[in-house]
Parts: sequence; structure tokens; C-alpha cells
Amino acid sequence: METRTKRRTAPTRSGSVFSAPNATLVERQRGEGYARVWLAGVDGVRSARPGQFIMMRRLGSPALPRAFSVLGVGPGRVELFVKLDGLLRELLGSAPLGTRFELRGPYGVPYEERIDPGRRYVLVGGGSGAAPLLFLHERRPDLVSDLVLGFRHGGADDLFPALDLVVEATSCQRASDRLADVWRPGLGIVGCGPEPMLRTVGARYRDEPAVYVSLEARLGCGIGSCLGCSIPTAHGTRRICRDGPLFACSEIPWLR
Amino acid sequence: MAALTVRTALFELATPIVLASGPAAFGQELLEALDYATVGALTTKTVTPRPLPGNPQPRLVDCPCGVLNSIGLENPGFDRFVEASLSAILDLPTRRIVSLAAERPEEVARMAARLAGIEGIDGLELNLSCPNVDDVVIGSDPTIVGSFVRAVRSEIERPLLVKLPGDTGPLIASADAALAAGANGLTLINSVRGLRIDHRVGRPMLHRKTGGLSGPAILPVALARVYEARRAFPETFIVGTGGVTDVESLIEMLAAGADAVGIGYGIMANPRLPMDLAAGLAGWLAERRLASVEDVIGAAHRGGFVVP
Repeated sequence: METRTKRRTAPTRSGSVFSAPNATLVERQRGEGYARVWLAGVDGVRSARPGQFIMMRRLGSPALPRAFSVLGVGPGRVELFVKLDGLLRELLGSAPLGTRFELRGPYGVPYEERIDPGRRYVLVGGGSGAAPLLFLHERRPDLVSDLVLGFRHGGADDLFPALDLVVEATSCQRASDRLADVWRPGLGIVGCGPEPMLRTVGARYRDEPAVYVSLEARLGCGIGSCLGCSIPTAHGTRRICRDGPLFACSEIPWLR
Repeated sequence: MAALTVRTALFELATPIVLASGPAAFGQELLEALDYATVGALTTKTVTPRPLPGNPQPRLVDCPCGVLNSIGLENPGFDRFVEASLSAILDLPTRRIVSLAAERPEEVARMAARLAGIEGIDGLELNLSCPNVDDVVIGSDPTIVGSFVRAVRSEIERPLLVKLPGDTGPLIASADAALAAGANGLTLINSVRGLRIDHRVGRPMLHRKTGGLSGPAILPVALARVYEARRAFPETFIVGTGGVTDVESLIEMLAAGADAVGIGYGIMANPRLPMDLAAGLAGWLAERRLASVEDVIGAAHRGGFVVP
């Protein structure tokens, strides 16, 4: 089956982007090293689709905001799944409820617009890379054959009690091992997680059709303007924030 | 927002807020976020004679109060810029300044000559200070600065700004050389060369080792250069750029002597920043019963402004 023609233009058209200068941390579930957090006061976030991300910083901070994949949305609310490392992410894990943040987005091309819709996919995630995959699974279960989410330690277990997570510390298995168990010809793959995991996926499945990886970089603006996240691809220079974050594995030179 | 209009011999700008060359690209992505009525001018991302792919990842490294960038002047090259990007830039409802850089004066002259035939370009900015492409920064040598400016001036009569480094070379001598060779204004400063080392492995975090530091960290450096330049060149148009992210720092930059204030890091952090700044500045002027932002420009050289 042919891979669908790549879109060059992003779908974050005028009017669909929101700016929430005064969002509030309203709910949090903490696990060891990870947390699920809910922010309210984010009007417009309901348009966010799986694979899209928001840019966020603490209210009043002059820092560059950080990108977070959306885990889910509700009326005026957005849910994130964060690894508790780095200043802002640790703050999300420890700040009192009611703490204010600046949010804007959603940015990036939704996964559904990038992947071949005629297939079912194994979604393989590592760490906080689980977020967009869980959102895709929630919205488009018809596209998903298996959900494989790997973690080093068991900290995320309590956050997703209904899921069978692959915990390396207790099972001696990694997400890529579980992927090998469940993948069969005809299925596509969508991977999101640390670079070593994506490299393993690339090494084993790069010649298969419909294998996609969600890439990360330190984003600057998030809207495709500053070129801080440009990467070389088989089709020339592309911006992770605006042309991605999902790319066909075959497009990415270091995964070939 | 009549109070925000800046009238100089060179330009009339609707507001003193200028999108600095770089993070605004060619202005198109910002259309989704930004009301251009709050922007005095867009300075395009720097265009070079040939396409540049830019530097490998990582291109951005966090710093206390700023970011170290190593973009590497990624751009489609001059010919492609003119064919594919320029017409959309000319449609933007603001003034447009095209930023150019080249390795040799004759290359930048060739680009300027082609732009001379195109209506709607309000000015050029000659980028002589990118810290991320060459080891030697052109703008730090007054003789070379003069040769680049003369080459451009011989081809085009449009307003010409020269962007100089804030951290290397004799700034006033370079600015003097640029103005003597026919430049009409100065953009001060570019990002400041900086280095970060990954403490876990003891190696520089950027492939090119050093990058350009921008953000609030360089505000005092930019203020000092703008202040010095305003003192040396009382009548010259100056765009003060470096670390302005809020109304207070915007007023500082104007008071130091900037006729207009470039926003680079600030637009990365918040694409709507010019709207916040324009509203904030208008409110600040009204509170102090100041009729015009022009009363603020250079105030630090005149003993400040009257505090109500």
C-alpha cells in the first residue's frame, strides 16, 4: 500500500489556535517520576487532536515555553502526562493546585492527517511519549491494533491502572520487545518516545510500509517561525513543530 | 494608538515595535497569532545569496534568562526568496525590511540591485554580525563594514540599516564606518556569542560549540550599546534589539535611545507579545500623560521623564 502523500502545509489554520494566558492547574495524580495533570481555563483547547501539542510556561515567567503533547481534552480543560524532570515539569508535579500557567496551541499536524488511514497500527511509546498515543487510542480505536507503552520503572502503573504497561525493571522486557511480539505484516507502527527506542524501531521496521515516528527537539516558538527545530529529511529541511511531529520512518536519515 | 507612532527622517512606524530578523521568519506563521497593526515593521529572516540548510540539532539550548541558538541562517537562498516568499511579505500590513548577508560585498550588492526594482520594500538591513556561520564576524572590522555598506549603497537608495555585534569589535568605529559609507541607521545588537557544556559528558552542547545568546540575559548588554551609540550619533535611526520581553524593558530600550525596539526572543516565547507590548505601552504613556512615545525615546540622555 502506498504511503499517503505528505502534507506540506500545517492544519493549524488561523482561528484554530488558542492562547490561554491564565490557565490553572486544577487536578493532579502523581506516580513515581510521572504525573497526570489537568489545567483549566484553556478555552479553545477542545480543537486539539491526537499528536498535537501545546506550549506552556509558568505565568509571568520570561522563559521560553516548553512543548507538551496533549493526553486528552475536556470542556476548557487539557490533560497532560509529564515526566517529572526539568524545572517546569517538576513544577507541574509539585506546585499547589491553583498555580497559573500560560498555554498556547494546539500546534503540529494531527497524527490522523499523516498516517495511512487504511491500516491498523501498533502504537509504541516510551515514557511520556505515551501521551499522544493514548489520545489517539481514545479518539480512533479503529486505527489501533495494539498499545505498547514502555517504562523503565513502575511509576506510571498507578496512573494507568487499566493498561498493561511494559515495565523493564519487573518484566525485563522493553517496549520494542513487546512490539516484536505483537507486530505482524500488514500492521503499521506509530512510535513516540526516547531516541534509542525510535532507533530500535527504525532498525527493525524501516523497510515496512506505514512506520511513523514522532520526533522531539527543544522547540522555540512552536509555530514554525524560528527554525529552532528544523531537521534534515529525505524531502529536505522540515520543522518538527509545524511539518511534524510525526514523520515516516523512511524520511528520517538517522533512522535509515 | 496614535501615541505610539514614531516619525523619523527615515521611516514613520505605526509603533516602535519591530520584529527582529530571525524568529519571525518571513512573517507568515505569525499571521495566525498576531495583529500586525501593533507591529512597526517586520525584519525578514536573513537571506543569503545561496540556500543554507542551517545547523544540525540541537539548535536551541536553554540558559538562565535566555536561550543559546545555533540556527545557522537557514534560508532558501536569495533567488528562491524573491520568487516564492517576497510577494507574501509585501502583502503584510506593516513595513517590511529585508535582511541580507553575504560573504563578499559584491554578493550583497547583487541582491540589493535586484531588490531595488521591487516596490514595497521599505528598507534593507545588512546583517554583519551573525555569530553562527563564520568564525570572523564581519561587523567587528570597521574597514570591512564600510566596504559592505558602500557596495549596497551603490545599488539601492532605500533606507539601509546595519546590524552590528554587541560583544565584539569597536562598535562606535564600525557604526561610524557604516554611516560614512551611506548607511542610514543601526540595529544593535545581534545575539551574543555564548557556550554551554553538557556537564554530564564535558562536551559543548552545540555542534558548532558556540551559539548566539538572546533573551533577558543580554538586555543590559544591548542597553549599554544603544546608549553609547545614541550618545555618539544623536540623529541616527537606531533599532535597539536584545532581551526586551515586557513593557518595562521596552521603555528602558527606548529611553536608552532606540527609535524602535526589535523583538526576537520575545516573539519566540510569545507570538502575541507585540500586542501585549503595544497595549501596555499605550497605557503607560496615558498614565503619565505623555502625548507620544517620542517623549520617551532617548529620555535617559535628557535626565529622564517627569514622574507623575
